[in-house]
Amino acid sequence: MLDRTRTTLSDGTTIDDLINVQTREVQLRTISDPELYDIEMRKVFGKTWLLLGHESEIPNSGDFITRLMGSDPVLITRQKDDSIKVMLNVCPHRGMRVCTSDAGNAKVHTCIYHGWAFKNDGDFIGAPVAGEQMHGAILPKEKLGLTQARTHLYGGLIFATWNFEGPSFDEFLGEMKWYYDMLFQRTDKGLEVLGPPQRFTIKANWKTACEQSAADGFHTLTLHRWLGEFAKFGDGDLTTSMYGTEVGSLQGHALRCMPVANKFKQAAGFRDGNLTLEEKLAIVPPPGITKEMLPELIRNLTPEQLGLLVDSPPQVGGMFPNVLIAFIYVPQPDGEIIGLTSLHTYIPKGPDELEFCNYILAEKDAPEEHKQKALQFAVRMLGTSGMVEQDDSDTWPHITQTAKGAAARNVTMKYQAVCTTPPRPDWPGPALVYEGFTKDDTQWNWWLAYRNLMNAAL
Amino acid sequence: MTTNTAISTDADVASDVAFRPNRVPLGSPAYNQIAEFLYEEAWLLDEIRLADWVARLDTDLRYTCPVRQTRPLHQHAASIVRTVMHFDETYASIRGRVGRITDTRSAWAEDPPSRTRRLITNILVESTDNPDEFEVQSYLLCSRSRFEETNLLFLSCVRHDLLRRHGASFKLARREIIVDQTVLGFPNLAIFL
Repeated sequence: MLDRTRTTLSDGTTIDDLINVQTREVQLRTISDPELYDIEMRKVFGKTWLLLGHESEIPNSGDFITRLMGSDPVLITRQKDDSIKVMLNVCPHRGMRVCTSDAGNAKVHTCIYHGWAFKNDGDFIGAPVAGEQMHGAILPKEKLGLTQARTHLYGGLIFATWNFEGPSFDEFLGEMKWYYDMLFQRTDKGLEVLGPPQRFTIKANWKTACEQSAADGFHTLTLHRWLGEFAKFGDGDLTTSMYGTEVGSLQGHALRCMPVANKFKQAAGFRDGNLTLEEKLAIVPPPGITKEMLPELIRNLTPEQLGLLVDSPPQVGGMFPNVLIAFIYVPQPDGEIIGLTSLHTYIPKGPDELEFCNYILAEKDAPEEHKQKALQFAVRMLGTSGMVEQDDSDTWPHITQTAKGAAARNVTMKYQAVCTTPPRPDWPGPALVYEGFTKDDTQWNWWLAYRNLMNAAL
Repeated sequence: MTTNTAISTDADVASDVAFRPNRVPLGSPAYNQIAEFLYEEAWLLDEIRLADWVARLDTDLRYTCPVRQTRPLHQHAASIVRTVMHFDETYASIRGRVGRITDTRSAWAEDPPSRTRRLITNILVESTDNPDEFEVQSYLLCSRSRFEETNLLFLSCVRHDLLRRHGASFKLARREIIVDQTVLGFPNLAIFL
């Protein structure tokens, strides 16, 4: 009962009033209510696993990056034993940010305010004028280190959470891990970042970007209409590539598997079942993969995963709460198909603002030329100046503002396009499977996951 | 009172050749032409005359905008990141970006368009080994207004250009845009800098 009280807003509204499970509607007020935002920081961003970067950003002992974990600044360091630690970048003395650089290499991090010094694993070394003991004698040195986060590496991606009692990372991914493994655990050396992330600010609530990341297919047809109209994707018709399979879970994770045969004429033969894996990879490989990587794929994936990856790779989706995943194709006028890989985190910066953090990645084993092409086209299609995503970033601020209207706050966002097609009998993977034309189910699951956390005890 | 840090006279500055060996002086014909070219360019972009702007780009154009990072002073060079950038463009890719805006009715990020004002200052010109090419540095403060937002968004940067004479005017052959923000305050770069 106490838990329920905690998720009741000051005017008596509950989370369940805002999210109507029967009718699959979410009151628009939910988007940018400041009171909800405070709860989200503690119950969502204070509780779930959060993506903070990739280990290839800090390859050497002593390397560090600083990032935001929800609204908390964190310091991420490479240890002597090659492990990675994530810790609060806040001095336990007076709350100053200890490390003020975005990246670098240091054995010791010393706070510029009063000089408290910390090993790069967060342990407190001491304060200046040791004999005078600035840190006193009330607390032992062991209690004066930087607050540690629970950390997990997955395919080189750095995840952390403040929730030590909560689910393990694998439990957090649940059945969706089977699909994520097709993207993040498929090659021997895995992915690497091609540089530090692009970062920019959008005056929009984080949820506008994140619920879309849960595989919103419909918006492609209108918001990204230029892809058909100008870039002539799908020979000008984007609807054919919206037929595929959406997979998701009640944890709010989602991916859209899009059959290569629906997207590209040259892959029409994929449907017949006569082509070998080698032949398919030579025609249109999964985004980010080259045909030379086939032996690695065979080593790292099950035949079922590999078959799905080649025929109908997961191309867009998200990971709850604030990750967008893009493993996409960029067909060129000359017939070449460039595959690119990008991950975004949408970092909450108040009820009305988010930071868009865009990582561009490639398989470590990919040829250098392939990486450079993937990087250039990722910059051109996604992120700051990306011709696809610049339209998204202009949309979310409107929703954030309309959500504040006395009338509009009671308008509901509707997730009533429900998949009614049963999964194909030969569908090889687990989790919730939505066959056919894109629908709202995976996005609705995102809201159910949000509701679940917002209703949970702190 | 004597001091070692006396204010330089104009003559001192003018003789400081090591600092600016190839400087094209302010007010010289070449400088004026280049300044006018940059002012016109800013005007074309503010007026969204994108096809006219593209006509001033050379076909071997490299147009880039590195990411910035906060680094200590002694690592200042590392504050400019030229791997992942905000723009990583060629002539063909710029034409693609412009075509998306001019040839469709669905380039929503700039339709309706932003109202922009590109203020160009601090133009410094250097001659190069090629008499037809000039290295040009300019400051740009770009303000941007969208919809009914009353607070202008700002982006400040320095641009390092290579301008190449074409007949009576110039074409832009290279531009590197060094922005001042590690986290851009613009929601996108759907406009050109």
